[in-house]
Amino acid sequence: MVARFVLGLLVAIGLLQTDALAVDATSPISARFAGSDARPSYQKHVLPLMSKVGCSGRACHGSFQGQGGFRLSLFGYDFKQDFEALLGGDEPRVNLKSPHDSLILRKPTMQEEHGGEKLFDVGSWQYNILARWIETGAKDDSADNPAIDRLEIQPTELMFKKPGETMQLRVLAHWADGAVEDVTDLTRFRTNDESVAKVDEKTGVVRAEGAGDTHIVAFYDNGVAPVAALLPVGKQAGPDYPKVAAPTKVDELIVAKLRKLGIVPSELCTDEEFLRRASLDIGGTLPSPAEIRVFKADTSSDKRTKKIDELLARPTYVAWWTTVLCDITGNNTNQLEIAGKYHEQEWSRIWYDWIYRRVAENVPYDEMMAGLVLAVSRRPEQSYEDYCAEMTSYVRSEKPADFTGNDTLPQFWGRRNMQKPEEKALVFSYTFLGVRLQCAECHKHPFDQWTQQDFQSFQAFFTGVAYKRQDRRDPVVAQMMRAVGVEPDEGKANGNNPGRRLAQAARDGKTVPFPELIARLDAVPGTKAYKELKSVKGGSRVITPKVLGGEEVVLASYADPREPLMNWMRSADNPYFARAWVNRVWQKYFGVGIIEPADDLNLANPPSNAELLNYLTQGFVASGYDMKWLHRTIATSDAYQRSRKPNATNEPDRRNFSHAMLRRLPAEVAMDALSSATAGAAELAQFHGDVKSRYIGLKTTQGGDGRGQRLYSLGIFGRPDRITTCDCERSNDPTLLQSLYLYNDAEMYKLINAGGWITDLARVERSKDFPTLVAFTRKRLAEYEKAGDNVRAEKTRAELVKMEAVRELNVADRDGLIEELYLRTVSRLPTADERARALQEVNASESTSEGMRQMLWVLLNTKEFILNH
Amino acid sequence: MSSHLFCDGVRRRDFLKLGAAGAGLTLPAFMRQEAFGRVDSQSKATSAIFVQLAGGPSHIDTFDLKPDAPDTHRGQFKPISTNVAGIEISEHLPKLARCADKFAVLRGVSHTLAAHDLGTKYLNTGNRPLPSLEFPGYGAVIMKELAGDPELPHFVAIPSTPQSGGYLGPAFGPLRTGSTPKIGQRFNLRGLDLENGITLEDVRKRQNLLARFDTAFADVGKNDQLIAGLDEFNQRAFAMLTSEKAREAFDLERESPSINDMFGDDGFSASCLLATRLVEAGVRFVTVSLGGWDTHADNFTQLKNKLLPPLDAGLSGLFSALAAKGLLESTAVFVTGEFGRTPKINQRSDEGGRDHYPRAMFCILGGGGMRGGQVIGASDELAAGPKADAITPDDVAASFYKSLGIDVSKEYQTSSGRPVMIVRHGTPLRQLWA
Repeated sequence: MVARFVLGLLVAIGLLQTDALAVDATSPISARFAGSDARPSYQKHVLPLMSKVGCSGRACHGSFQGQGGFRLSLFGYDFKQDFEALLGGDEPRVNLKSPHDSLILRKPTMQEEHGGEKLFDVGSWQYNILARWIETGAKDDSADNPAIDRLEIQPTELMFKKPGETMQLRVLAHWADGAVEDVTDLTRFRTNDESVAKVDEKTGVVRAEGAGDTHIVAFYDNGVAPVAALLPVGKQAGPDYPKVAAPTKVDELIVAKLRKLGIVPSELCTDEEFLRRASLDIGGTLPSPAEIRVFKADTSSDKRTKKIDELLARPTYVAWWTTVLCDITGNNTNQLEIAGKYHEQEWSRIWYDWIYRRVAENVPYDEMMAGLVLAVSRRPEQSYEDYCAEMTSYVRSEKPADFTGNDTLPQFWGRRNMQKPEEKALVFSYTFLGVRLQCAECHKHPFDQWTQQDFQSFQAFFTGVAYKRQDRRDPVVAQMMRAVGVEPDEGKANGNNPGRRLAQAARDGKTVPFPELIARLDAVPGTKAYKELKSVKGGSRVITPKVLGGEEVVLASYADPREPLMNWMRSADNPYFARAWVNRVWQKYFGVGIIEPADDLNLANPPSNAELLNYLTQGFVASGYDMKWLHRTIATSDAYQRSRKPNATNEPDRRNFSHAMLRRLPAEVAMDALSSATAGAAELAQFHGDVKSRYIGLKTTQGGDGRGQRLYSLGIFGRPDRITTCDCERSNDPTLLQSLYLYNDAEMYKLINAGGWITDLARVERSKDFPTLVAFTRKRLAEYEKAGDNVRAEKTRAELVKMEAVRELNVADRDGLIEELYLRTVSRLPTADERARALQEVNASESTSEGMRQMLWVLLNTKEFILNH
Repeated sequence: MSSHLFCDGVRRRDFLKLGAAGAGLTLPAFMRQEAFGRVDSQSKATSAIFVQLAGGPSHIDTFDLKPDAPDTHRGQFKPISTNVAGIEISEHLPKLARCADKFAVLRGVSHTLAAHDLGTKYLNTGNRPLPSLEFPGYGAVIMKELAGDPELPHFVAIPSTPQSGGYLGPAFGPLRTGSTPKIGQRFNLRGLDLENGITLEDVRKRQNLLARFDTAFADVGKNDQLIAGLDEFNQRAFAMLTSEKAREAFDLERESPSINDMFGDDGFSASCLLATRLVEAGVRFVTVSLGGWDTHADNFTQLKNKLLPPLDAGLSGLFSALAAKGLLESTAVFVTGEFGRTPKINQRSDEGGRDHYPRAMFCILGGGGMRGGQVIGASDELAAGPKADAITPDDVAASFYKSLGIDVSKEYQTSSGRPVMIVRHGTPLRQLWA
């Protein structure tokens, strides 16, 4: 005992440097600490041990109020706080004078009452780690220790042959100084799917449970590393795998994974299925009946690829993907008053239009996103008065100026839910990086490398970025207000709302003051962050900004704190920026991301096919962030064009893209599909060109129907409010209310009955001699024109246009109508059987139009209509 | 009212997900729903109402007061006695104090998940959340276990709920009303009224037609949760439309004034009233919710002015109306938030607030044959943890299920074939039947 103490003292005062680890750091910790000679490290052994045995878990001392007067940092990565907790306080847990009387030894061994029960024995390797650390002076070595470089897991892949089989994992920590240590015994393990493989959290032994693939994740210190565990589905895995065509690189990479698992992909889908699926995914729109007929008749071998290019060139592609980008960036009318109150509708429209133009021009993704990241409101050379005049020009009612030519979109920073620096950090990482940082705001992220320090360092980029409200005491502002009849010190009272009057003045085209977006290196005066910064003398709270998982940034060398951030995102080895978008786009095409959830890029949630995601990400960056390259590359693959019909091997597969998955149409797409399926002939003909009036178009902006209302139908079909930082805000699950809506909502009846296709049919059917009616109307038009009655002439002309479209309708051709019905709704021709039964139904109705009305309702209520398949 | 933003930026919304991670094999047991046979004679409930207090209500200021605690913890509110000798609750819950015989207060309920999302999942499923598995909410399990009236929805959420079908699939999800009713007014559930000259005959004819034409995915059938869900909802929509029952139940205009008078005039009260009407009609499970309990700052002002008055009016009305309608014995009521709040008052605002605190919270169970007028469990002198043995959310869930005759040790299969017990670690609280 005395000898030990002396040794510890020598070590403590630096006279003797023993590093027992150097002896054989690659043997198991439990063996190395079985005796009592090895010298443990606080960072490398003591804290990981306390995490491994559960001391720093949320249920125990990791709780925010501690447990039994002893609090550790949650998931144990706050070295300083934990060190103080161990050695400080009224009742220190560590007894330097009498190490073996330390509470951290006596309690977990139940020599003293312990709520957390017995965790290890006296003299065990766990005991020895803690005891030896105390005996050697209980030093915090975290400041001197190199950071962890990576965790290495052996074997690199767990390829099982049958359920019940087990394999042992071994975990090696690689430290930045080159040291390597076996830390298996101190590693926490987790399986991502217990139905495929289970892992013994104590030993790291993995057991195969069922067919499929998943990952086992290892956590040690700040390192997180996944290892794939696979159990083939069938006997056809590996060398016995049948020959499967893989015409594109995407297919090669997918088939390579399927081969390992013995999963054979489904056949390619039919032309009709392809056209419907691609039209919905690329352009959020059902193909028109005429288009389907032409596509079916086309015999060229590359017609699918040509169709993909055609779809990508349409305004419907632009509208739908603008909507997707508005989801991710958070365009919500109710959140935008900070960019200028009472102009929320205008900001939202401007937001949509700005993105729309860039998608239409296929502006590189990084450039478009830089327009948000680096947004400025007032240009450096611009005076405040000129800036206000410019802003007024965008919101005036009469011929508002076009905002889309501006390089940036400052309104993004005006979102109400991203005003505090920490909110900005969360929104920013969600939107541009697909990373959920929430956990690290308060403690070490349980499933990723992020620490609270990382969060604060990242947040530091945003303290200097904020919208600044116009100061009414500023003479320039005051004068501008007076010029439109508002006194600067006017308050809201008795129904008088000076803010509203200012907004109205701007709508009338009179220049009023506007808030502006400030980006500076410290903090924006007037904000909470600024007050906090100034309240601390000597700037001790100033945190050096650091990009996620990267380098510290010296802000002083930049004019705008966001600049180094954007540079980092654009750097070739950035692990998030391009990947996040690639994965999100993939998810929209397949219903499941290569990383799923698609907006949760973290080390413990690895891609189902890393090679595939890497290939697409690298290709996307190499293409110059060409969004159409990405869409084309995905859509032209066999993988995308597979049938939904499974075979004996691939039915359970949900993550390896071996067959198409059924997906409910997204809210806006579903509502548009209802509109087009029921539309009159004239309206339908314009449906693909006119995106303004479409739900996938501007109408989808939150409240973008111009009245700030939330549309009931879009709500029940799961349109996102765009408030939370989660892709899951958009829900594509079915609900009872959706069924009730399709079945019996007044809006549905209106679509079917009022002015659409069925009305056309009824009209033609009622007028026995339609050509005579047309001729009569023509004659009437000529008379009005002659008489100079422009109003009536105009009306009649519109009537004629409708009639011309209806003219084609041959009510007598019931068979043709039934074909049209199927093409309008489920985008295919009816089978012979369906045709016969539908015909029978229509024939039995009191009139053709009544029969068709009934059948239209039926088809709109089929699963085939509301699903993308 | 339907959405509250919590301190962690998470808005309460359905975390509906299609089944569990992994494959999608067997399922739809709603096809083979079990007959209503009871093995447990103590189980009296045939319906249930779940009251969600979203945000995490402070236990020490409501049902678990500590008048002798130091200033740093105690808070501003004083205890008052109730109509049950020895039970005291907050002075701002006078109406509940007058019907304390109708429910049991559970104190020292304890868990460890201090995030809204996770705590909410835990308390809404009775299972500690797992990353790989989405557990079904109570409503989903009840829908699966207790055969319902085909003319009524089995699981109604007023206006919304975080409970989903989980691994049972979306077919077991709730019907969300989306908005809150008003006392004395017809609550218009869209799509439920027959308008536009549509007759019941028309609806029946259409359903027949639909069955003949909606055949494209017959081969997928019940193996796919999405297909199963769509089929289920279609069937249910049809059944509801062709019945008067649902329309009547949702029509608050038809409620008697004497019942109306038991409630306040706020939305939560009206929701509670609607819940009693739905249960009366035969709906198996109804959730109502009152949000805004995330009182990090200005805890006392918020409780006193904004939160406790509607809770007091609505919840006392709920128990009284159930009793008046003769439904209390057959209706289990479960009231809970996702966690309690820190007994130590923080200094975030002048008057202070309380932060997330899962280690001690309260729950309320009543009706359904569970003995009211008692306190079960206890917290320590600072309300900082259970005094002796903790009651876990799993235990509360097991008790709730027991009142409904549901055997929680029963195993379900997830879509990937994994067997999972209804409640994995809970034991019913014996005192409820003692």
